[in-house]
Amino acid sequence: MGQKGLSWLDWRLHGIVFILTVVTERIGTHRIPLGPGVIVLFPMLYAMILGLVLYLGKFVKKEQADAAEPMIVLAIAYLIAKIGVLIGPSMPKIIAAGPALILQEFGNLGTILLGLPLALALGFGREAIGMTHSVGREPNVGLIVDTYGFNSPEGRGVMAVYIVGTVFGAVFMGLMAGFLSTILPLHPLSYAMATGIGSGSMMTAASSSLAHVFPELKDDIVAFAGASNLLTTATGLYMSIFIGLPLANKLYSVLKPRFSKNQKEVVKNA
Amino acid sequence: MLNKVQEWAILLVIVGISATVGNFIGYKIPIADAIPGMLILGAISLAGMILAKVIPVKFPAVAYIGLIGMLLTIPESPVAKPIVAYTSKVQFMAMATPVLAYAGIAIGKSWTDFTRLGWKSVLVALVVLFGTYIGSAIVAEIVLRMQGII
Repeated sequence: MGQKGLSWLDWRLHGIVFILTVVTERIGTHRIPLGPGVIVLFPMLYAMILGLVLYLGKFVKKEQADAAEPMIVLAIAYLIAKIGVLIGPSMPKIIAAGPALILQEFGNLGTILLGLPLALALGFGREAIGMTHSVGREPNVGLIVDTYGFNSPEGRGVMAVYIVGTVFGAVFMGLMAGFLSTILPLHPLSYAMATGIGSGSMMTAASSSLAHVFPELKDDIVAFAGASNLLTTATGLYMSIFIGLPLANKLYSVLKPRFSKNQKEVVKNA
Repeated sequence: MLNKVQEWAILLVIVGISATVGNFIGYKIPIADAIPGMLILGAISLAGMILAKVIPVKFPAVAYIGLIGMLLTIPESPVAKPIVAYTSKVQFMAMATPVLAYAGIAIGKSWTDFTRLGWKSVLVALVVLFGTYIGSAIVAEIVLRMQGII
């Protein structure tokens, strides 16, 4: 230990993760009725929040946070392997649902239809395009930075969404997906496909939440979620280049004058 | 290369221990029952990472891993039955808990950036996540109904 070659073997980090896993699994799953729906709380959400709390409370140091980053990639390998062996047996079903699986990728443009008007109403300028042209993961950040530069309004916009997604995406998707499925009666498989938005941790949290609400379909849910996420990962960038970004620009030029009429430019910072 | 493989294997075992114990505590699956499935999943992961390193085409390790797992368990695969049986003893959600624990610790570094954002940015970002989710769910629902699958 101590020598450079073994710096990845951070026992403090792995020990903390082990303890977090034990403690959060011990707490278990809880369902909290909220209005007409149910919020599902489950171990991985506590684990993520506690991990963040430990870091902010200085119980883990920057050293551990640095070592944790490559560990996510490695630990996700296991999850992907598990998703793979779940997809195999469901393959005939997934192929049958192929058209839905492919077409729902266009549903990702819902970011623009819902997000752009809101961003403009809140007073954002060109930031709104970076924020809402896509779900703002790594490939989309790359595209915007490439197209407009890092220090452009669009660049600041996409970075804002990227940061929020990184910090709260998984927790938000986990809570929201479970709750929404208890108040809006779409089919669990439709929701499962929708969880594949191009982020492994968000898909994992959202599909797990659905699996808690519909335990009889849990293997299918994870298989469809995994297949959809793989598809989004493969097509997401092209979706942004050819449809998302042009559409966001078009909608911006149509909507912006209407919003500007009623209000002065308020917001400078993203 | 051998060093790298060894390092991956050790780290996979470390994550695997957390996942296996979590699988026992959260889902009451005895540790001994879960070990064969964990070893299979670990082997698939390792194989995928090695392939990504060895094959010169730029294709991420996770794609190989998913593909291997899938090919081993499609109905045509002769080993599908035992692999599905063993790996079913490992709950997806149990494996995800350590992943998000690592993620929680790692995202601490983004916290300062996060606190600099205004509430408006946060609100728009959450609506963006919600928008892609509900948009995809509605399209999927329509197409699945048209196909008569649901």
